[in-house]
Amino acid sequence: MNETHETGTAAEIHALRCADCARADSADPDARPVDRLPIPVDALAGFPDGIPQTKGYDRRQFLRNGVLGFASVYAAHALNWTSIFEAAVAEAADPANQLVMLYLNGGLDGLNCVLAADTASYGAYRTARPTLYRELNAPSVPGRVGSTPAAGTGGSLSFANLMVSGAGNNGDTKGLDTLWGDGSGGAGSDLAYWPGMHFLPANGSHFEATDYIFAGNLGRLGTGWLGRWLDLYGSSTNPLQAISIGSSLSKQIRTAAAPVCSVPTAFGNFRFDVSGVGSNANVNSEVGRLAAIPAATAGIARSRSVFDTTVAVSNQLGSTAPPGENPDYPASSLSDRLKTAATLLAANLGVKIVTIDWGSFDTHGEQATAMDPQITTLSRALAAFKNDLAARGIEQRVITVVFTEFGRRVGENGSVGTDHGAGGPCFVLGSSIRGGLAADHPSVTSLMNGNLGVTTDFRTVWQAVISEWLGGDPALVLPGAPFAGISRPDGQTTLLK
Amino acid sequence: MVDRLFWRAGFGPSQADRAAWTGRTVGEAVDWLLDTPQGGPVGPQATLGGQAIDPLAGTTDLVLHWVGRMVSAQNPLAERMTFFWHRHWACSRADVDQLFMFRQNDLFRRYADLGANPGADFRSLAYEVGEDPAMLVYLNGELNRRGRPNENYARELMELFCLGVTDAAGNPNYTETDVRELARALSGWQVNTSDPDNPRGTFNPSRFDNGVKSFLGQTGNFGSRQAVDIVLAHSAHASFIVRKLWSEFVAGPPDAATLADLTATYAGNGLQLRPLLFKILTHPQLFDSLAEPTLIKPPIVYVVGAFRQLGLNVVSSSTYSRLNEMGQLPYFPPNVSGWEYGPAFLNSNAALNRWRLGADVVTRSEVTPADVAGETPQAAFDRAYGAVGRPWLSPPTKVAMVDYATRAPVGSASSRRARQLLLRTMAVAGPDTHVM
Repeated sequence: MNETHETGTAAEIHALRCADCARADSADPDARPVDRLPIPVDALAGFPDGIPQTKGYDRRQFLRNGVLGFASVYAAHALNWTSIFEAAVAEAADPANQLVMLYLNGGLDGLNCVLAADTASYGAYRTARPTLYRELNAPSVPGRVGSTPAAGTGGSLSFANLMVSGAGNNGDTKGLDTLWGDGSGGAGSDLAYWPGMHFLPANGSHFEATDYIFAGNLGRLGTGWLGRWLDLYGSSTNPLQAISIGSSLSKQIRTAAAPVCSVPTAFGNFRFDVSGVGSNANVNSEVGRLAAIPAATAGIARSRSVFDTTVAVSNQLGSTAPPGENPDYPASSLSDRLKTAATLLAANLGVKIVTIDWGSFDTHGEQATAMDPQITTLSRALAAFKNDLAARGIEQRVITVVFTEFGRRVGENGSVGTDHGAGGPCFVLGSSIRGGLAADHPSVTSLMNGNLGVTTDFRTVWQAVISEWLGGDPALVLPGAPFAGISRPDGQTTLLK
Repeated sequence: MVDRLFWRAGFGPSQADRAAWTGRTVGEAVDWLLDTPQGGPVGPQATLGGQAIDPLAGTTDLVLHWVGRMVSAQNPLAERMTFFWHRHWACSRADVDQLFMFRQNDLFRRYADLGANPGADFRSLAYEVGEDPAMLVYLNGELNRRGRPNENYARELMELFCLGVTDAAGNPNYTETDVRELARALSGWQVNTSDPDNPRGTFNPSRFDNGVKSFLGQTGNFGSRQAVDIVLAHSAHASFIVRKLWSEFVAGPPDAATLADLTATYAGNGLQLRPLLFKILTHPQLFDSLAEPTLIKPPIVYVVGAFRQLGLNVVSSSTYSRLNEMGQLPYFPPNVSGWEYGPAFLNSNAALNRWRLGADVVTRSEVTPADVAGETPQAAFDRAYGAVGRPWLSPPTKVAMVDYATRAPVGSASSRRARQLLLRTMAVAGPDTHVM
């Protein structure tokens, strides 16, 4: 799948607030003034009495580029305008830990990203993959990608050179090895790797496996695991608390009640308008009035609720500047999304969760052609993302989970590709993360129905993300919790350092 | 009821549809939809940049050619069903040659234009799709050969196209072994492009796995059509297709008795589509809640409907990008499971782009509103509402729009025009217009 059309990969469900609750929000007659709010330039037409302007503000670049200034604001006409800003301002005072979920679409072949490099494993891999194998601990040559030992693993893991820094491997760029560091889990070892994540009984269906992983349950649920966390621990008023970047909303943040949102990759002109109307009407405000009408059916309630949320998001994002250029990022739609994520995470809008879907890793045929450029991009973009977050001063409060629905079969198929497997790769990165090998590597010599076994149930990781990072009780979020905790080969048991 | 039927089975009613069918029975109207061959398009043909669209010129042309065809369709059900099959047997231009995709579209239309092909049945469709160049490429069927099985199509044939992973009780419909064995039976197909204008799926016996296969309880040296027969004989097949077709047209699931009746109708008529579609489209549940609609319009229905409401067939490159942002660009399903319908189709980004599409249509120069000085707010609303085909709007929505018309500035020709344009956009693209 080419990059231009990778939209809409997952189903998207916004919180469907009931019309009565929406009315109650907007009908609040005692709306309190909200202190020091950023005022988008484009929102000025919505305030007939004018906005008091302040000087000498000093906030983040995001706001400097995109807003006129800060002011005390009373309730505007549009629904939720005030409550959203209240939530955002409250968050700004005490920024929470933030989570980026990067889902790699289609089932990434972890074995060709990080090689099981001990003699027996590599021998079995080499036999199973006569065409697709990586050369062990050797430079890449035309037609054959080499690999580089991962520090601190005693020779048991090697990164495919596509994911390693430096000329001859990955261009003159940073790669995942810069995050891996010495692999010890100490300072500078900021990349944790789970080599066999999935669930049992394994499920080779893309759609079932992703639904389960997004739901945080071995079965479909009406809400996502992060959606349930938001319902319990998130804001009831701020849709920006959880954002899917792109035109789809991830099932991971499907909630029962709490508002969430999706934004396009670039949200520079996110507002309702009609050519020729100009200053004759504030179209956002007029659409907001139509959206506030109570509905009788779920369908109309849904539509009005989404328009109401859209007006609110537009009012807040409408005039923000597009993501700045950052030369570290490779040219890619993934980079565009990560740049937007970095901008939103840094903007103190109450953003707690960002989801990104990317890639096309269902490599049944011609795997090298399809996969290798993508993992090169992935590695470079993630390294650039970490630097971007650091430059914005927020890297320590962001972790990024990179996951996929399953790995690929160990033996290559007859189409120079690999079919659906079971245990697959998961990476979690951030300077707060205890880097290194985070679980036993599933056996490459003794397979489970031709596939890597499952050494980590995905809920082990989700559970740790809740208990150690987001906060809250995993038992209230994940059906069947508690699950086995993290159990690293080095004896450590935590996600964080 | 005319409005309801023509939204659910088409792209919204024209005034002529309303005049023709009001007062007649649902059965008569559905018979017309099912029995009228699509024939040539009516009205002006879609153009792009003033030129007729060549569907093979480029990706944008391919997509807009089809959208234009839907806008000008005489019998809208045929195009809705063509799109349904595209959604069901989802292949993407992102991975497949343009000509292959265009030809696959014609294949789907033969099983959608029931006026021209009244006996169309799912089995023949499944046979043809399995041998269709676009599908052979998209799900790697062309790579699936003796000694080198590729499971991709076999898996999706059962999971997404014919059976589903589990039955209604949650029991697995097939095993991983069934997938592997079915793949062997489907082996041997290739795409022949020796005539570049007529790509064909061809069977190459030397690539066929000529051994005994065992799947779904059957054992034998099965080939691809026998394999399809075995899959379609599975007890889960009929209700799987019935549910999916039902959900295309009707809000909420069918009750048990309805499901049993529809399943029996489909199975009892040799998997033919017409008897099943007649029962679905005349079912009382389709006409539930006439006072306020209930089913979220898929983007393609919304977009084509907006053009038809204004009597315009002037698709443009912005139509393409809007559809993409709404999450439903024809020929580009997000993955092999097609588009997931329902509330999922409305999110904030989609809502904004639905609004923008409506504004694109309303502000076309062909439909520039006349300036009427001294027009009352109510008259301004009535004129705007009539100009866009009088779509469903709730009574309070109409009150709110007249209220806007009352507050809007009218001191100049440009402000009066702005009022007309915003009222029309509200009526085409406001929150009430995305449900049918």
